[in-house]
Amino acid sequence: MSAEMANEIKLISGRSHPQLSDKIAKRLGIEVARTISLNYSNQETSFTVGESVRDEDVFIVQSTATGDVNEGLMELLIMISACRTASARRITAVIPNFPYARQDKKDKSRAPISARLVANMLTTAGANHIVTVDLHASQIQGFFSVPVDNLYAEPSFLRYIRENFNAEDCVIVSPDAGGAKRATSIADHLNTAFALIHKERPRPNVVGRMVLVGNVEDKVAILVDDMADTCGTLVKAAAVLKENGAKSVLALVTHGILSGSAIETLNGSVLSALVVTNTVPLGDKVDRVSGCQCIQSSHVD
Amino acid sequence: MRGTLIFAGSSCPDITDKICHNLGMARADAELTQFSNGETSVRILTSVREKDVFVVQSGSPKINDTIMELLIMISACKGGSANKITAVLPYFPYSRQSKKKSHRGAITARMLANLLGVAGVKHVVTVDLHASQMQGFFKCPVDNLHAEPLIARWIRRNVPRWQEAVVVSKNAGGTKRVTSLADALKLNFGMVTTDKKRGPGPSMAASMISYPLDGIEREPVLDPISNQVRTNYSSEPENGTSATDGGRSQDSRTTADAQGSPRMRANGTHSRNSAHRKSPPRRSQTTLSQSSVIDELDEEADGEADGLEYNDQRAHEVTHGRLVQGHIVPDDFPSPATSVADTNVPDDDPMTLSHASSFFAPQPHALGGSGDVGASSDEEDDILKDPKVERTITLVGDVKGRSVFIVDDMIDKPGSWIAAAETVVKRGRASKVYCIATHGVFGGDCLEQMQACDCIDTIVVTNSYPIPEHKARNASKLVVLDLSFLLAEAIRRNHYGESMSPLFQHLMD
Repeated sequence: MSAEMANEIKLISGRSHPQLSDKIAKRLGIEVARTISLNYSNQETSFTVGESVRDEDVFIVQSTATGDVNEGLMELLIMISACRTASARRITAVIPNFPYARQDKKDKSRAPISARLVANMLTTAGANHIVTVDLHASQIQGFFSVPVDNLYAEPSFLRYIRENFNAEDCVIVSPDAGGAKRATSIADHLNTAFALIHKERPRPNVVGRMVLVGNVEDKVAILVDDMADTCGTLVKAAAVLKENGAKSVLALVTHGILSGSAIETLNGSVLSALVVTNTVPLGDKVDRVSGCQCIQSSHVD
Repeated sequence: MRGTLIFAGSSCPDITDKICHNLGMARADAELTQFSNGETSVRILTSVREKDVFVVQSGSPKINDTIMELLIMISACKGGSANKITAVLPYFPYSRQSKKKSHRGAITARMLANLLGVAGVKHVVTVDLHASQMQGFFKCPVDNLHAEPLIARWIRRNVPRWQEAVVVSKNAGGTKRVTSLADALKLNFGMVTTDKKRGPGPSMAASMISYPLDGIEREPVLDPISNQVRTNYSSEPENGTSATDGGRSQDSRTTADAQGSPRMRANGTHSRNSAHRKSPPRRSQTTLSQSSVIDELDEEADGEADGLEYNDQRAHEVTHGRLVQGHIVPDDFPSPATSVADTNVPDDDPMTLSHASSFFAPQPHALGGSGDVGASSDEEDDILKDPKVERTITLVGDVKGRSVFIVDDMIDKPGSWIAAAETVVKRGRASKVYCIATHGVFGGDCLEQMQACDCIDTIVVTNSYPIPEHKARNASKLVVLDLSFLLAEAIRRNHYGESMSPLFQHLMD
């Protein structure tokens, strides 16, 4: 990014993840714009931009914190709308953890495609451009009528693996068929073996039987996935890998949502480490998960 | 009704059941849950193909979850090939954020209207929008129903000697609503107004109020006369002191408006005789923009009071009261602060100042984004509660010995209601006070506070916004009118393509 353009960037942070916005701002050498967000007594959200955004290139950073997804989303929409009415030239919504990404298909009769709804809502509010990280399904990009940059956490993962492990000792494992592509891509870059776990999923957030395809014996098995929510999948997959002779098992996950009893589940598992990026505000979860590490992904833009 | 399905959002199963009961049908099945990460999950359990679908959703303390749930339900019905989807919103969320009040605030109500359109709504039914202009935000047709006939009927049936009652607006912005009800019942109406900030610097005022001690260290000008004859200059720091003399409550007003506000007039030549006034407003901690408005308001009041020389009838129609911490106090009540803490005006020109401070004032209410300057009680309420600020409350209209209906569109915060009720009782000597609103939002402990207020006799709201049962049970003054018949009728007429107009008419029974 050239120096003269930097003046035109206005970085606006939502309330969900100020740490990430600060890091992005620091990296860009700019300051986060002054804003005020608050809730009225009836919990309606109000937002005001504290400085002029007229004819500026506005970037709004909002991740959605676990448990407060709808709050975060509404705040983002209101922020976009406020910048739109304040005559911003271009509004880019930076949503590291795209909400409702898993409700992306009509898998049952009358199931809502909420991801498309969110996409339409963002464009309706006035977003001209979306930046996100590791969409659950890349097809979500097609839900938008505006450009979407789907960034990958893969380079960060590669760096982490190269720095911490001997690539030849590793096997990259995808915990489900859907993530196979992501896992093979990393395995290709590292020139390592690849394995796959097939799982049956009777209901959302519930994991059925698991079958391992591939050889993990005496290797460090690295599970790669896009999100760790209740962590049921990861923990079961780790157990399967261990049963099949893996030396140790760790997990590399982009979005550490870690909802419900995820932390207890993780602490009681055979996973030696869970590595997540900072797309989702983690709060004190990092401290509570043994071996949980957070790698940075603040170099978006 | 054939080919119709009515779904209830999680906020309002009760009113939906009543609507369905009125229509003689059962509520359609939907499973509304949340995933463990907080995302909303909706499962529509019956076929909606080619059906006329109505989704009922009101507000709730988790308003954003409620909205997302509504949008996802609509989206799911649309994806399930529903013929037409109508959103029935007895309480339209974010309706107070219907205009760009502060610089760069969002018009959230418009955005919400667009979001509903995007989700797939073909028609919206709502009740008593905060501003009826909001109908223009939608691309689809909107039926803005009125609860007024219902309220009028309740009054005619339940208020003894309602023909003698007076309808009172608790702020200038709500006067239109009030006159409409007064017309329907053929009653007199009145108005209560507090001196409140207006104009360019509400937030400026707020930011300065938060540093009250600044001025105390300065040397107060103790001569009220000199204050009176002084001309105000713009942005002159050395002019920034003035004071009230704390002891006397008589005599001329002392102004706190010495600092430069670009809107300030020269005060000096305007010789006021405050003898008209029962209680000269001795405001402390008022600041420039605020006080400039106070000036204007007072002059209006003065004008009206002056009128008494010529017009006998007007004399007792205008009543003033003093308001400290949101309550009416007697005339001899000690002023909350004895020195006017005029904050020094920074050297910045007023524009810069307003930009610099307005958005970062410690008092969040100053930031606006909600409501109308005239009609919302949000920011007004916060000011009312400020212990340092004394305000003048003015009652226009004769309410002596009569029942008073204080009317607005919603009850959210209690402050302005209690202040208005105390004014009409303690100042206007009204016999009974009914607080009437369509939407009983009751944020925080609003209902408890209003219940505890001696001056309020009855609180009348509709069931457009769900009131938790444990709260309603403890509020003996609360009367909840049922809207379900109105909404059911609107749904029925919509489905069969009948005219809506009869729903707006008052039935004289």
